[in-house]
Amino acid sequence: MTQDLSSLMDGELAAGEAERTIRACSTSADEKATWYLYHAIGDSMRGQAPRRLAMPDEVIESLKAQPTVLAPRRPLHQSTFARVALAAAASVATIGVVGWIGSQGGSVPAIAKSNSAIQPVANKSNVANPALDVQDYLAAHRQIPSAELYRPVNNRAPTPGR
Amino acid sequence: MRPRDSAGGVRWLPALALGVACAAQAAPGNDPQVWLQRAAQAARSNSYAGTFVHTNGDRTSTVRITHVSVNGDEQERIEPLDGPPLEIVRRNDEMFCYFPDAQTVRLDRRVTARFFPAILSATTSTLAASYEVKLGRTERVLGYDCQWIRLDPKDSMRFAQRLCSEVGTGLVLRAKTLNERQQVIEQYTFTELKVGPHVARSEVKSIFEARVKKWITDAQPREEAKSVETGWMVASLPTGFQKVTELRRSLPGRPHPVAQLIFSDGIVTLSVFVEPNAPAPRTAEASSEDGTTTFFVRPLGEHLVSVLGEIPLATAQLVGRSVVRRP
Repeated sequence: MTQDLSSLMDGELAAGEAERTIRACSTSADEKATWYLYHAIGDSMRGQAPRRLAMPDEVIESLKAQPTVLAPRRPLHQSTFARVALAAAASVATIGVVGWIGSQGGSVPAIAKSNSAIQPVANKSNVANPALDVQDYLAAHRQIPSAELYRPVNNRAPTPGR
Repeated sequence: MRPRDSAGGVRWLPALALGVACAAQAAPGNDPQVWLQRAAQAARSNSYAGTFVHTNGDRTSTVRITHVSVNGDEQERIEPLDGPPLEIVRRNDEMFCYFPDAQTVRLDRRVTARFFPAILSATTSTLAASYEVKLGRTERVLGYDCQWIRLDPKDSMRFAQRLCSEVGTGLVLRAKTLNERQQVIEQYTFTELKVGPHVARSEVKSIFEARVKKWITDAQPREEAKSVETGWMVASLPTGFQKVTELRRSLPGRPHPVAQLIFSDGIVTLSVFVEPNAPAPRTAEASSEDGTTTFFVRPLGEHLVSVLGEIPLATAQLVGRSVVRRP
């Protein structure tokens, strides 16, 4: 289930799975706590201030039990492999950079993928300026298409098979 | 992951390589330019198979790469080991990207794609215009003796680079990018590697191809990789950067292809995208940075200019603010 939650945050679940996971998440206190915890970890790893959410007590407790990762965005250290483990734990490990620019004029660190259900609070009032998905440009720049990016190709008229 | 566990006892001992293959691998001496040239050449002309970890900002990925050079032709297989299955098979500049889940093979021609350890795209004289090249210390990396090559930028328009070149073959086993405070912000490092003729040609063939009966072929990216006049230019390009090409690329959700201008200083590339500023026009500049990747957006009349590259924000801003219509 935690894997599903993690995948949901990354926008990697199909519609049916996502719905099931969201339902589980909104009905089970445990799942809800995990959900908050993952976002708190994600936020802190990205160097963002924790979002203002009414966090259940158990989240606070489990956060206390976590190793201290609540540092601002840091350069890589010698302990790359420790970071690998942390990154994998919060399920932010992808090839290349994902992120978007949501606010006008401001600098926003890369955050979750745009099709994720999660939006930073600051963006919600910013309907006139929809988020730009850095991933689109990054895929074009690096010529590494992500599976997610690839979906639109099905809507094109593909060339018949080789 | 220790090399002797995973490489199956086929490691090239540098001493052996020097002793046996000396005719082809002249000792590079103390000239940093020669080391740099050798490192660039080694990634193309050697055969190697390994796994490397790429860390950029907060993100980490593990990638399997196999490279074979036959009569000057490069063949390569790249498989990211995280996320949905994906495989890139490259024959010189022709790229075949297999998505077994989508049963789709995407054809493209290499323009900006850059895969470790082949991260040097220019001649050393071009690099010398932008970087001060020096030799650093020697170090044992992955069981190999390595020579660090230091590339310090001559201006603030780019990051510093550190390349760890294996003494015997010249192959880069580790690469770091440092910010202006000398902190590592991006790193590639092999965790397992074998080099030499043990790497078979069969290892660079597609593994995924046989998994799908009938592939859908998307040849559009290859068509779009051809150079075109976009009608746009960058008026003040930072020293050392040269235009590689300009083309039009389809991006998701856009009704028309987007203009893309590509520049390189020999190590890093930057892309400038120009598209209509619609349907909900942005009215102010915005930016985002993560690791070495910088993204800068700027409205320009009825257009939107986006700059993306492995460059400092100031460079992206300079480039983005000087995009004009070609006279």
